[in-house]
Amino acid sequence: MKLVTTTGLALLMAVGAAGSAFAQTEITFSLWGSPQEGEVWQEIASAFEAEHPDIAVNVEVADWDGYWEKLRVQVAGGTPPDVFAMDAPLYPDWQSRGVLLNLQPYLDADPEMLDGIYPTTLEAYKTDEGMFGLPRDFQTIVLFYNKDMFDAAGVEYPTSEWTWQDFRDAAAELTIDKDGDGTTDQWGAWAEVYDMEPLWGPVVWSHGGEIVDPEAGETLIDSPEAMEGFEFIRSVWLDDKSMPTSEQLSQYGWDGLLSGVAAMGFSGHWSVPEYSQAGLNLGVVPMPEGPAGRKTMVNSAGFVVSASTPNPDAAWEFVKYATSEAGQTELAKIGLAIPIRESVTSSDAYLGQEADIDHQVFVDALEYANVKPSFKGYEEWSGAVGDALSLAWSEGVPLEDALAEAVDYGNDALAANR
Amino acid sequence: MMANLRPLGLERAWLLIFLLPTLFGLALGAFGSIFATLSISFMDWDLLTPPVAAGFSNYVGLPDDRLFNQAFWNTLAFAGLYVPLTVVISLFVALGLNRKLPGTTFFRIAFFLPTVSSPTAVGLLWTWIYAQDNGVLNEAITALGGDPVRWLSRDVALYSVVIANVWGAIGGGMIIFLAGLQSIPRDFYEVADLDGAKPWQRLWFITLPALAPSMFFQTVLTTINAFQAFDYIYILTRTGNGNSNMPTLVFSIYRSGFRFFRMGDAAAQAVVLTAIILVLTFVYFRLQKKWGATA
Repeated sequence: MKLVTTTGLALLMAVGAAGSAFAQTEITFSLWGSPQEGEVWQEIASAFEAEHPDIAVNVEVADWDGYWEKLRVQVAGGTPPDVFAMDAPLYPDWQSRGVLLNLQPYLDADPEMLDGIYPTTLEAYKTDEGMFGLPRDFQTIVLFYNKDMFDAAGVEYPTSEWTWQDFRDAAAELTIDKDGDGTTDQWGAWAEVYDMEPLWGPVVWSHGGEIVDPEAGETLIDSPEAMEGFEFIRSVWLDDKSMPTSEQLSQYGWDGLLSGVAAMGFSGHWSVPEYSQAGLNLGVVPMPEGPAGRKTMVNSAGFVVSASTPNPDAAWEFVKYATSEAGQTELAKIGLAIPIRESVTSSDAYLGQEADIDHQVFVDALEYANVKPSFKGYEEWSGAVGDALSLAWSEGVPLEDALAEAVDYGNDALAANR
Repeated sequence: MMANLRPLGLERAWLLIFLLPTLFGLALGAFGSIFATLSISFMDWDLLTPPVAAGFSNYVGLPDDRLFNQAFWNTLAFAGLYVPLTVVISLFVALGLNRKLPGTTFFRIAFFLPTVSSPTAVGLLWTWIYAQDNGVLNEAITALGGDPVRWLSRDVALYSVVIANVWGAIGGGMIIFLAGLQSIPRDFYEVADLDGAKPWQRLWFITLPALAPSMFFQTVLTTINAFQAFDYIYILTRTGNGNSNMPTLVFSIYRSGFRFFRMGDAAAQAVVLTAIILVLTFVYFRLQKKWGATA
């Protein structure tokens, strides 16, 4: 009896050993996003697994705040995901701390793989030692407008020739107190002004100003040119009252276009699925032109690989697939972001998306876009500057004072992260 | 009787064994984290690379940290208004509800309700009350012919937030004071009546001195809560990108550590916060001793 058991055990062990010979390499990919995005990534991962039967990919998705918190704890605890999503402005904070794998050896071994990727999107991931990440997709900011509101007010649609003055005039015309009770019910525009990306960054640039010089540790938003840009936003907001205050806006939601209380807004392609699901009749045009030309901001989300992954090769294969034409074509189906390959943005997968909007406008915006600033300490700097800038959007404080405070806070944050 | 309940011999060993999991949890959870916070406060640590000894630099740097300063003064101003208002108002509510009249149960429940409600839900309710155009408060003000107030703008937010927080804390304070009131022996009042004491004399010479321990307890508790206040304030004053119009110390600690990669600074801030609470509690204890002697 004992013999039988022992033989059985040995057999079992033999089977187990044989099984592990076929075992797959398992890697984890974490990203921020909605559950729906997670599902699309699961599909991309399945397509990848079909090509690489020896690799299995676990997709983990969390909302933005939860994602970064969890990631910090995972990396600090020594159990990072093998591949994870990165926001370009935050990349230096992670790259400089040695937690990301240098992908340069892989890129050197496979030089053609970057061909056909928009060069602008690669910029943010380059360092002196090589690339520690690759872009996954990119986002440019354009002007969205609600056609129904323009029609109702008899105002002509925005054009690709618009200047900021044209924008201001139309915004004033579209600001309406519909029921005559003394409070505004429809604003010409709304804007998210905490982050530089949707409005104030492009406005500062198109007035000839600069935002930050991280090398020199200087915040530059108090130059006369930049101030002219901020003055413009204040005139639309405080003088014309064509944009809701943040407290007014919060009565309806956080996005004025989505809530149907603003006729224009500034956003990237990420808003398109939500806007189109809400049944809004929208159009898009390039950002208006300022005294120093037309400017917008481009930012990218990317992939990075953990420096301590036990399976760097499998992780690299996944990144390579996700940035390839096949992976990017799948990605285009999510409808949130713009693929990084020209062959995909010019294909039906991107241009023929369900949402009825001119998707080409977002791609063309690359021609006049500057890359969103990205440096070590970005998060602290943007928090400090954003907090201080909120003074600039209230009447009681002179613009110079608000900007001086923002510059002081920003420079402190830069100094703390040298 | 009591002597029989004291554990003897082997029983002591068993007692210890059964208490071990709890003691272990306490040691690890409470003392462990206190010790960890203290040690991290003397290091530079970004969570991702190994910590480096930093001496007192995290503490020395605090006065120059603008975001910390802002949070520090916000919290102090908040506590300065919140503590006295909460203690005084909940005391008066308790005095008013400490009688057998129809309706007192209803009012007691009404005042206690915020204590057991979800802070997020209640915070959102206050957001609606304070809303700029369609808010309950501003609609009332404009109906009376006044100008609408921007309740949650940077200048006014402190007061709006204090009001919401005090409202949320009255219930808890009321319970403490009601318990204190009910433990005052009725004989005191009967004797006072025989002596011909007026109602205000009964309040001043009997009720308030007898409530001194409750007041002390409630003040300490409210002070601790004031310095740790977070939920309502955050919900009412948050801005885009998860920041706040009125950052408090707890918010600053969270932000420095988990968002700005500055665990050492965050730990130093946490130690300062703890020190403030300790000092205040010590002062209260001293005051109580002084009071206790006369009461």
